[in-house]
Amino acid sequence: MAANDRARTAAFRLGVDVGGTFTDMLLMDAAENRVLAHKTPSTVEPEDAVMNGLRAFEDRHGVAPSSIGYFSHGTTIAVNTLLERNGESVGVLITEGFRDTLELRRLRLSKANDLFVPKPVSLVPRRHVREISERLDAFGKVLKPIDRAQVEAQTRALYEAGIRNIAVCFLHSFRNPAHETQAKAWIEALYPDLYVCTSAEIWPQQREYERFLISVINSYIGGRMKRYFSTLREKSRGAGLTTRVFSTKSNGGVMSLEAAADRPVQTMLSGPASGVIGACHIGRQIGENKLVTLDMGGTSVDVAIVNGDIPYSTENTVGDFPVIMPAVDVSAIGAGGGSIAWIDPEGVLKVGPKSAGANPGPAAYARGGTDATVTDAYLTVGICSPDAFLGGEMTVDAALGLAAVERLAERLGMTPTETADAILRVASANIYAGLIPHLARRGVNAGDFSLLAYGAAGPTHSFLVAREIGFKRVIVPPTPGLLCALGCLVADLRNDFVETIWQDLDDISDDQMRAKFAEQRAQGMDWLAREDVQVERLFVLRSADMCYVGQSFELTVPIPVETDDFTTDDLAAWFHAHHRKVYGHADADAPVRLIDVRTQIVGEMPKPEVRRIEAGPTEGEASAPWRKVFDRGAEHDVVVVHRATLEPGRKIAGPLIVEQYDTTIYVPDGFMVTIDEHLNLIGTPT
Amino acid sequence: MNLDDKIQLEILANRFQAVVDEMAQVVFRTAHTVFVKETQDYGTVLVSPDGEVFAAPRRYGVMMMVGMPMGDAIAAMGPDVREGDVFMSNDPEATRGMCTHLSDVFLWKPIFHDGKLICYAWTFIHVSDVGGAVPGSIQPSSYEVYQEGIRVPPRKLYREGVLDQSFLDMFCANCRTPEQNWGDMKACLASLATAERHVHELIDQFSEATIEASIPALLDYGEKQARRVISSVPDGVYKFSDFIEADMAGLGLVRINLTLTVAGDEFLMDFAGTAPQVRAALNLPSFSKNGHWMLITALINWFCTREPTIAYNAGLARPLKIRIPEGTIINPRNGAAYGARYSTSHKVCDVAIAALAQAVPMQLPATDSGQGSILLVSVPDFASGGRKVSVIQPIVGGAGARPMHDGVDGTMVLLNFLKNIPTEVLEREMPEVLIHHYGLRPDSGGPGRYRGGTGIEIDFETRAPYTTVTSRAMERYIFGPPGRQGGHAGATGYTLFKPRRGDDRDIGKIDLLDMTIGDRLKIGTQGGGGFGYPFERPEADVLDDVLNGLVSRETAAELYGVIVTDADTVDIGKTRDRRDGLRRAAGAAPPPQFGFDVARLDHNRRWPDAMYDAIDTEIRDLPPISRQLIYYEVQQHIEDIWADGGTVVAGDVPALVAALREEYGGV
Repeated sequence: MAANDRARTAAFRLGVDVGGTFTDMLLMDAAENRVLAHKTPSTVEPEDAVMNGLRAFEDRHGVAPSSIGYFSHGTTIAVNTLLERNGESVGVLITEGFRDTLELRRLRLSKANDLFVPKPVSLVPRRHVREISERLDAFGKVLKPIDRAQVEAQTRALYEAGIRNIAVCFLHSFRNPAHETQAKAWIEALYPDLYVCTSAEIWPQQREYERFLISVINSYIGGRMKRYFSTLREKSRGAGLTTRVFSTKSNGGVMSLEAAADRPVQTMLSGPASGVIGACHIGRQIGENKLVTLDMGGTSVDVAIVNGDIPYSTENTVGDFPVIMPAVDVSAIGAGGGSIAWIDPEGVLKVGPKSAGANPGPAAYARGGTDATVTDAYLTVGICSPDAFLGGEMTVDAALGLAAVERLAERLGMTPTETADAILRVASANIYAGLIPHLARRGVNAGDFSLLAYGAAGPTHSFLVAREIGFKRVIVPPTPGLLCALGCLVADLRNDFVETIWQDLDDISDDQMRAKFAEQRAQGMDWLAREDVQVERLFVLRSADMCYVGQSFELTVPIPVETDDFTTDDLAAWFHAHHRKVYGHADADAPVRLIDVRTQIVGEMPKPEVRRIEAGPTEGEASAPWRKVFDRGAEHDVVVVHRATLEPGRKIAGPLIVEQYDTTIYVPDGFMVTIDEHLNLIGTPT
Repeated sequence: MNLDDKIQLEILANRFQAVVDEMAQVVFRTAHTVFVKETQDYGTVLVSPDGEVFAAPRRYGVMMMVGMPMGDAIAAMGPDVREGDVFMSNDPEATRGMCTHLSDVFLWKPIFHDGKLICYAWTFIHVSDVGGAVPGSIQPSSYEVYQEGIRVPPRKLYREGVLDQSFLDMFCANCRTPEQNWGDMKACLASLATAERHVHELIDQFSEATIEASIPALLDYGEKQARRVISSVPDGVYKFSDFIEADMAGLGLVRINLTLTVAGDEFLMDFAGTAPQVRAALNLPSFSKNGHWMLITALINWFCTREPTIAYNAGLARPLKIRIPEGTIINPRNGAAYGARYSTSHKVCDVAIAALAQAVPMQLPATDSGQGSILLVSVPDFASGGRKVSVIQPIVGGAGARPMHDGVDGTMVLLNFLKNIPTEVLEREMPEVLIHHYGLRPDSGGPGRYRGGTGIEIDFETRAPYTTVTSRAMERYIFGPPGRQGGHAGATGYTLFKPRRGDDRDIGKIDLLDMTIGDRLKIGTQGGGGFGYPFERPEADVLDDVLNGLVSRETAAELYGVIVTDADTVDIGKTRDRRDGLRRAAGAAPPPQFGFDVARLDHNRRWPDAMYDAIDTEIRDLPPISRQLIYYEVQQHIEDIWADGGTVVAGDVPALVAALREEYGGV
């Protein structure tokens, strides 16, 4: 390692998660083996909060921005631009006859039983989709050549309509990108100020709607992202930050800001992904690689199932839109802390799907909400104290929460505490119903897994969920509210590559198959070289999407060896084994088809052992030494302690309440809590 | 129910939901065929010992299984039900309407606890082929069930965990796709095993007594909710009729006639006046069962639209009483052909929505395109000497406009779980097919304040000789989907055959079409009906549709009254004049309930209800075969009289029927 590299890794490393309400920042001090934390309200111009945080680190801890050697950062701008539909106009050049690919989507609507199901609206108005007379067949052979004059004429029309972003979307381009590439070159020659991207260069996978959509989204959100990135860079330079800036990705990795500006679509799902990366980091610290992560916020519970490796999905959606690039597999299920409890006309108590969200929020937040929410129930049964929200910095009026619960209680003919208890039981059942099919889909047994809770309410509700589902144990990291920022900080460089093959394994030679993987590895190395970052270790994760011939759904099968000398027979054997593992049966005689080959290149970033995270006060006091909690129909006297007082090695039996700056943990009877050397709270059923 | 039970009920409803959702996941992820993957044609439910569905998925599968009558299938097996048994049937007659065509293979498993039957796990899957006259087993022109494949009355596939291999071999030997079928069935078996495991876990956690008691309680809860929703509808009698277009089977128009009586908290759906069963595969074997799933889909969806969190179980179907004369197309006698009964079910949904819409106009959309056809192509596989079959696309049309929103373009609300197939996948799986065009069909959506969704157009070429194309369940080529409250009807469908040699020709609905190298076929589907007067649609929305090419300038001017200039702007003066004129012509009276197209208006004029009622009365006593014969012949006869310039009224019908009965040898 060269001297300057050593200096680079030795410097401070900064991880920032810019959320809708708070901007969370973690500063890792490798030399002192500690992490400093800062939570600051998000600002209208998102980068201002980051600058505020930088100043705070300098003022409080004397860390000059110039001594920061690495800065990784996650933002929700991309996903919000798409969800709020305020991106830039995009024009699409598309194969003749397929103008409506974006309008037709895959036909299927979101709610099958709803006569008033909303009509999906394309990101691109039909008049901005222009057909180009060109055609390839399914093997990439040219059936109809592309014509420059037509490409230019259609581009000109779009340009004159004020459009500055063009997505070039041709059929079968994943097989042969020649026409797309050619069209892009002609367009760039004609109008150098246009942003042009082709469907195959962003994500060359079979299935035209999904692939086209990725290039359209990339163009749609690109303008805003680029503006944000360049302001962020300017302002951080202004603040004295000299290091390069990295952006988190949907796949849980990071890339340079330059790469992110070119492929903003890759950041779309980075928020939830960072949380899981943070959770995996905690898991790695304590030697646990079977995790169910539970992030409970205001409106929903996000879960991921980590069975050894980071889980990926290629069937993610953002709003109406499928996103088929691999993203950390996080699913929103069930009720959140702001979910509203209500009584249907038959007198049955329901929780959600409506949520009071952040605004007005639970009734107890005193922002005008009058509906009883899950959070109001926590207060009413005694799990949470109104004095302990954000270490008492946040005003919470328990009486308002109680009043909201009382209104339901009157109609149910129960006491408010009974009602609140019922709300929590129903909410737990919602979470159960949402979580179980996900566990099943991954073929895992909850008893082998640890539930890792984070987010504002995750630690509050996690033991209630664990009690129903029977997890091996519950893990609450030291700062559950900052786990996404931790994920930003520890994320590795990661990039994905895909190629659709769509051939029976019997028809592919070993050499052909190896050549495909070798090519992706080369692309990956090339990408890493361009990112120009010193990494600790480099590895290549390969997988293949395969199915039985005749099956129309493929399985992504990880390739379990690091060498390159495996054969197509090996691929088939791994597929059969994986199929059996996932579905319980396999047919070793049936022919197997190779659909896609995939490679993920990972450049591992330094992750020094972190003993503790200093967030807020290192000393704290519980809001009361004990209080009454009403749980499952009975009242219990429960000891309340502050998290800061829990030293490694402490062991306490539930029932117990642990209060801390960013959350309250409720440990019911039947769990034993220990504090490990990393200050994680570990609850084990007794 | 006491209060604790009500809270327990919601908790258990969630738990059972988790079970059926997981069952569906297992089928979806493991099944091998396109019916499952692309059209979601499978189902997974939990069923009470009495045969009522008490938990069903809301997000996966066909989502029509509420109201599936399992009781007779259970009864057919008698008391010999043991742990480890798995039952199988695809027989509509022996299960009396649980199965509705032979392609749906049902597998179910009793779940025991300590020797006591607690409930059943139940699955069905639309398998690729069960034998019969044509590949895929379903042919609209089949006229008896024996042409439609092998029939399996309820029987055990597994006895106490042991597979009846000889029976399975016999079944598979009668199917063209034995391996695929067995693959699909294995997916169902895995799903049943999952359900059994989870119900056991529930019993361990909540006690057997709690689980047992919760099943009827959940069904009662659903029933109560449904009754309350129904109570909000004004009492009254609401009628509507529509037609299945069985012309390609030589059967003319087949009438579905519904008299919906709303009385307190119940609906009575009386289908008297519905056409006799037909010599085609359009018969829907409902056995006139109350709440039969294929008759009530629209009403269940209306419940779910009104109350998205309603308990989704067979309790919802209990207040939906059904009365159907025997021998009609929706309650045929045994032996009829059933394969393409989906079109019939869909038409019943259209009719039910239109009838209920008269009572609660703002709660229901205008009519969907009404066509849920699957376009299949088969080409020779020269290497193997066999044939390759592939789905080209689901051939569906636009959704009807809603009271406050446009209809969805390119797909219907009632079949909105259908997925299309990427052209890139299709052309790779079957390179013999080249898709020239797949998109929205401009100007097909019914004009209205809220526009009906547009239909789709698909144009493909075969590059193989001996290509055959089938597309069952094509509908609404004669009468477009009606609009509502001043909205116009959507366009009817068309099929244009473009042979390499010879002239293009409109060939109407397809049963089986032969094509050869270079031939092209173009299909256009229906738009949904519009809602509200089109001249009330905001000018900006009309302009948008014109600029986006979904409404022509001519239609914009003529029906919407919006004049779009060559500069792509609205001509304000001319538009005002045109719209004033349209408003005056519409008059001050409330808008018409239904916006029929010219063809349907013409039909209604010549064929008033009294005429159909008269025919119905005259043929009611006839046995099925003669009844359908005379029904069809008298219609043709009357049409001939009209065509010759004559006139027929209801009073003429008895004599006409008597003459025909005489002519056909005294039937």
